[in-house]
Amino acid sequence: MSATPERPAAAQHPPSDQGEALCREWYEAHGVAVYNYFRFHVPHVDVAEDLTAETFLKVVRAVDRFDPARGSPKAWILTVARNVLADWRRRARIRQYVSLGTMHDLVFEAPSPEERVLREEEVGRLLDAVATLADADRELVGLRYGSGLDTAEVAQLLGISEGSVRTRLWRVLGRLRGAMSR
Amino acid sequence: MTDDRDLPPDLEALDRDLRGIQFRPRGSLGPEVLGRLRRGERSKGAVPPRRSRPALVALAASLVLAAGVALMLRAPGTVTVDRCCYDLDGGGDSDDGVVIFAERDAEVHQLRIYEDLDRSGAFTAGDLIRLDRGASPAMHEAAAEGLVTIEHCCVDFDGGGPADDGLLVLGVPPDRVIMAAIYERPAGDATRASAPGGFLLR
Repeated sequence: MSATPERPAAAQHPPSDQGEALCREWYEAHGVAVYNYFRFHVPHVDVAEDLTAETFLKVVRAVDRFDPARGSPKAWILTVARNVLADWRRRARIRQYVSLGTMHDLVFEAPSPEERVLREEEVGRLLDAVATLADADRELVGLRYGSGLDTAEVAQLLGISEGSVRTRLWRVLGRLRGAMSR
Repeated sequence: MTDDRDLPPDLEALDRDLRGIQFRPRGSLGPEVLGRLRRGERSKGAVPPRRSRPALVALAASLVLAAGVALMLRAPGTVTVDRCCYDLDGGGDSDDGVVIFAERDAEVHQLRIYEDLDRSGAFTAGDLIRLDRGASPAMHEAAAEGLVTIEHCCVDFDGGGPADDGLLVLGVPPDRVIMAAIYERPAGDATRASAPGGFLLR
């Protein structure tokens, strides 16, 4: 879906079939970005899937609050995703979470199973290092690299200037490099 | 990319590595979301609309009736559930799976932990069986030094429908599995994962 300023016809008060069409359209356009955003934050495929589904259910139910003048659908959907993640973190804190993740959803055309394992380990190390960052730093990495938002979109979503996003991102990358070398 | 025209050269490799990470959600997730939407499922954080007291009483009565009918109509019989791939033996690789032969949403008849040697994503004849137990979730062998607990939650392990079951595995890394059992998360528990204390292990 493009980021054109026209309000989608279905975005007024969508009856169920229009809501469904909008959900399908937005999921096809931004589902992978939302899923990747969550995968940068949670190591579990099933949790990332659940949070993605939760996000799109919320998006469709709140679609009349979407204002295209204030940003693209992708940025708005990721705002919802951030709230869903924050809710999940609050709930997850209640109980100890002892579980191990898998990476069978990692996109990698491996020439052999061994190389796939090596690639999974490499990505695992990188995401483990991301997990050691402060929440705000992880958020920036998740939005920038997980969901693939560009600097302008991240700036808009976080309510800061593009210059600040760049500066903060470089600092975060520096900290991440430090975390990986430890 | 113009976006990062000023990126310090020493951070370029890390930036490239992060850009290179991409995950793909399973293809059925989109249809599943649409299905949930079609069924009118509310998101977990949604505030339910206010209802009058008589309406609530009528709703509760109809829910009880519906639950009774559902129980009577529920398909009987056994199910075989195969879930892969997790690290269930503590070896560090997500190459283990579990096959559960159970009454739907009820007792377990057989539970098998296997190592997915051929990376097929399911149990096959060539896979290595780490544990094969019957109906009892008793310890397969005496507790050993270095015992660890691995829990995976929440997945539909018993074919009962929702992803509300946890799998608990006791083993000694990297390749010994001593006990494995599933448990059901209590209804209404909003958390994704729960420690199994007090739950019935099956």
